[in-house]
Amino acid sequence: MGAARHPRGLTRLHPFTLLSIAGALPALAWIVPSPSGGLSTAAVALGLAISARAFRTAIFTAAPFWLFLLLLHDVPTTIAIGFRITTMVASFVWVVAALPPPRLVEAMVAAGWSASAAYVFAATLSAVPVLRARAGRIADAQRCRGLSPRGGPVQRLRALRALAVPLILSALHEVDERALALETRRLVPGARRTPLSPPSDHAVERVMRWALAAACVAALAWRLR
Amino acid sequence: MLIPVAAAISLALSAAVDAVALPLFLDTTGTILATALGGPVVGISTGVVTSAVNSLRNPTFWPFVAVQVIVALYAWMAARAGLFRSFKTAVPAGFGLGVIAAITSTPISYLVFGCTTTGGIALTTALGKALGLPPLGACFFGSFLADFGDKAVTFALVTSVLHGLPRRTAARFPWALRAIRAA
Repeated sequence: MGAARHPRGLTRLHPFTLLSIAGALPALAWIVPSPSGGLSTAAVALGLAISARAFRTAIFTAAPFWLFLLLLHDVPTTIAIGFRITTMVASFVWVVAALPPPRLVEAMVAAGWSASAAYVFAATLSAVPVLRARAGRIADAQRCRGLSPRGGPVQRLRALRALAVPLILSALHEVDERALALETRRLVPGARRTPLSPPSDHAVERVMRWALAAACVAALAWRLR
Repeated sequence: MLIPVAAAISLALSAAVDAVALPLFLDTTGTILATALGGPVVGISTGVVTSAVNSLRNPTFWPFVAVQVIVALYAWMAARAGLFRSFKTAVPAGFGLGVIAAITSTPISYLVFGCTTTGGIALTTALGKALGLPPLGACFFGSFLADFGDKAVTFALVTSVLHGLPRRTAARFPWALRAIRAA
């Protein structure tokens, strides 16, 4: 899974605190009336994205939504929904940039989560690029055998089947091998593992997480009254 | 171990779709396959993991986790009914899922994103608006066009895979044999 960089600034916070912030900001963006609510949360989320050097990613991900919103809605609605979506995008982009998956896995294991549950996320993340690369190799091999991915829809669907079925079958073939490898490392249901370097979880941060949840509930109650 | 592999299949299939340039997502393939192989709990878990990992690339996928759960439950019923036994039964079942997925995703898309989830759906929603449909109707129109064919192709693909499983692998998944009515 690779060694995590030494965390700095906000990224030093416990992974659950980072996730709480990333979850609370979009929730508040939807609860607090627009446009002031959405504008405030979007500003905070974009500020966080800047701190994690993920500002450009956040802007490039959010920009198409503004275009499509303008295509489908009037300007006030575009602004209201646009700020909410920007908050959501920037918060997620920030937390992805600020929180390395191995650190999250360590925190989950330290909190008593099953090691295999924590492993599922890391295993999926690592398997996707492997399967994508294999899909490219299968496409090359099928082209050598005369497969043409062009033509009408039926021909393209046949080509898709010729590419997808070998990819899926080869992935399923690996399930046994991976399961055996995990069993030899005692990654089985019910097994407890000791994290090597669990992230420190200070009382202040635990209070902060509860305060964020309380703020969301209070904002919702205020909005519904 | 099936869950991460199935979730990765859903996310990696976009490479195959890109190669043939078809307007498909196939992002529920792993969920449907895992359900047919391991049952509803495995299928729902795969759907949740797929949405969570997909959200790391594009956070707008997360609110649609409910659709993945519905897909897993529908696939479970289809597998129990043996609808993966041939294309003749799988493709209509996939069309049915397309309608259900569109009905499920429309309120999420409308309320959370103003129907702007992906470029393609936003454009078909704009087409629905141009045809005179009300906002929610236009949103359903966009989701329906995206999901209807996609889920039928996904069901056909999963049927191909289940029938192509080597005997040794299939024997480890008794539900797969039931889904294709081989047991």
